Amino acid sequence: MTLVHNWHLGRTMEYPYFESRPEHQFAAVFNTNRCIACQTCTMAHKSTWTYSKGQEYMWWNNVETKPYGGYPQHWDHKILQLLWDNGNNPMEWYTSAEDKDETKAPYGLYNGDTIFELAKTKGLNQVAVGYVPDDKEWRFPNIYEDTASSEQTNYETEAVKESSELPEHKRWFFYLQRICNHCTYPACLAACPRKAIYKRKEDGIVLIDQKRCRGYRKCVEQCPYKKPMYRGETRMSEKCIACFPRVEGKDPITKGRRMEARCMAACVGKIRLNGLLSGDYKKPDPKNPMDWMIHIHKVALPLYPQFGTEPNVYYIPPRWAPRGYLRQMFGPGVDEALDKYAAPSRTLMAVLQLFRTTQTMFARFEVEDGPKIYESEIMGKKVEVYDDTVIGYASDGTEMVRIKVEEPTWESDEKRMVTY
Amino acid sequence: MMKCLLRRSVFFGSALVALFFLCSGIAFSQGLEAEISMEENIPTEEGLTVKYIDGNVNLDDAHTTLGRHAEPYKLELQMQDKAFPNGGGSVKEVEVRSFHNGETIFFRISWNDESKNEWTIEHAQFRDAVGLMFPLEEVKEISPEKPFSPRMGDRGKPVNIWHWKADWEHDLNADGGYIHMEDQYPNMWHDFDSDPNPCLFNKEVHDSADLMAGGIAAGSLLSLPRGRAVEDLNAVGFGTLTSQQNQDVNGTGEWKNGKWDVVIYRPLTTEDENDVQFVPGTSTFFNMAVWNGKEGDRNGQKNISIRWRPLTLEAAK
Repeated sequence: MTLVHNWHLGRTMEYPYFESRPEHQFAAVFNTNRCIACQTCTMAHKSTWTYSKGQEYMWWNNVETKPYGGYPQHWDHKILQLLWDNGNNPMEWYTSAEDKDETKAPYGLYNGDTIFELAKTKGLNQVAVGYVPDDKEWRFPNIYEDTASSEQTNYETEAVKESSELPEHKRWFFYLQRICNHCTYPACLAACPRKAIYKRKEDGIVLIDQKRCRGYRKCVEQCPYKKPMYRGETRMSEKCIACFPRVEGKDPITKGRRMEARCMAACVGKIRLNGLLSGDYKKPDPKNPMDWMIHIHKVALPLYPQFGTEPNVYYIPPRWAPRGYLRQMFGPGVDEALDKYAAPSRTLMAVLQLFRTTQTMFARFEVEDGPKIYESEIMGKKVEVYDDTVIGYASDGTEMVRIKVEEPTWESDEKRMVTY
Repeated sequence: MMKCLLRRSVFFGSALVALFFLCSGIAFSQGLEAEISMEENIPTEEGLTVKYIDGNVNLDDAHTTLGRHAEPYKLELQMQDKAFPNGGGSVKEVEVRSFHNGETIFFRISWNDESKNEWTIEHAQFRDAVGLMFPLEEVKEISPEKPFSPRMGDRGKPVNIWHWKADWEHDLNADGGYIHMEDQYPNMWHDFDSDPNPCLFNKEVHDSADLMAGGIAAGSLLSLPRGRAVEDLNAVGFGTLTSQQNQDVNGTGEWKNGKWDVVIYRPLTTEDENDVQFVPGTSTFFNMAVWNGKEGDRNGQKNISIRWRPLTLEAAK
């Protein structure tokens, strides 16, 4: 084991390999507030990569309803239970100002065990804690769809009269969109006894070499997000490949420029923005929309950072869900992120317009000032909206998108209305 | 205060570890493997004698011939605890007999296993298997002075591994030489096995199915009918196991009354430079491993014999 820095945890942690960050890191921001669970992303993935025999229950992309849903069933409950059982400061965070650092520890300091550390604490004979889900767990990819959690269902509390009032709804659920996180410290990669899994230096995409894989399923066992899956037909494991030919710019549509993955580009609700993070997390580029949202503005948060793999899909948490649940899922950065999302800054308002405007990945954005168009108060905070223009550029500097905060509308004149 | 201490310990801890490894120059990633003990380089005194039997041996008779002529040699097995992931320990003993007829070398291996695990379709199904390992090149002596790692060889010291797999045996006996998803799930629906609706039929998609099928497209022996139950492999240490281009080893296995009985055979010599060559009248070494699928054994999670055993071939008369 070696010591590596995990900025999600704000500290060093144990990992079987040296810290070796890619030049760029494949990443995405999912705005859970906008998702309608239409599963278009799921089907875009399915029809592109896993339509063959043995992949019937293989969904590299899935959207599940939280808190009850999960694919494989109860995957997160099971891992959280394992982490909870360590008995020693389970999943505890220090979040005072002195525990934070702008780039190295933006959310504070995690004092619990990661999946790697817990395996060592427990003296297990493997690199991380985990389990292999069985057939029953993979069988219902969208189980508990739209099933709400409610305090009314709890016999110990009184019936809730008003169940939908911010900041926290008493009756709630939300959709969680999940793909492989292409982690900085992948547990699947650490677990593979054959080193058949590798993380690409150029874009941080994690892949299983189908020539070296021997179907041992150690990756399936030790990935806490359960995203490598076993394919009985070929006796091997497969996982999300981040549509790497598109990311490389091999698709002719974007003329050699990097392109968003299929599940991202298909998003109907415009909840997804896919791009590359700068290689050095200590020097984020304020003009890169991914760097800006994740490292600088911190409005998008990692999924279960306490697992310790430094996942690279980031979520804007749902505004209405109980904060305690969200802190467990996205770490202690939730409150700050939600404050910023509820009353968005000028730049955030502009960057949010970039979501799903083109298939080309943005490397840079600029904002041009526009007039003030709206003013209000949200949760006691003054909000001003300006009709700014945001411009998105591809990595070669080409302008791909120019869009205003206020959606342009067109109104028919009276005469025309009459003819209809 | 505690937080301060924690931070400090993390800082000084990492500095200390960095210093240690700067001095020793050992790759961190190899820290997952325990250092080789002296004992691992001392072969056992007793070994297996490969009897010479005159004449042709019919494979059907191999079981009985082996039972009649060759003395059983017992190897104690133990859990693999030398490298991550550790595991095994459920199979304590394996029995092996061997003979050759001047052309072919036969091994008959048997061990107790209450459950027959020959399916590998579901996520949580693991197979029973047995492996025989030989130094690839001629090795006269193994000792602490002349080490040869029993952990699947070492850099510059390759081994040849013969690996019989219960699921390959199962494949071999199936129609078309391969167990498919529908054998495990008889009621499953699969788009590419039915007559596609001509209105919706997309030939490109249909034809791309194999190309998109990871292991099949990669040409892996695991993913295709391979017409045999034993895999011929090489390795130069844990994690380096590689299937050979030329597969020369054959074998069959049978599970009866809580016991596996496996026969593995190969010509004494082959043309392949990646194969171990056996010369009657000489000796080499061998080592064994058994996997119990019911216990989730696979890869390093196995029952191993650890120390090399001498293997002596009787001269042809």
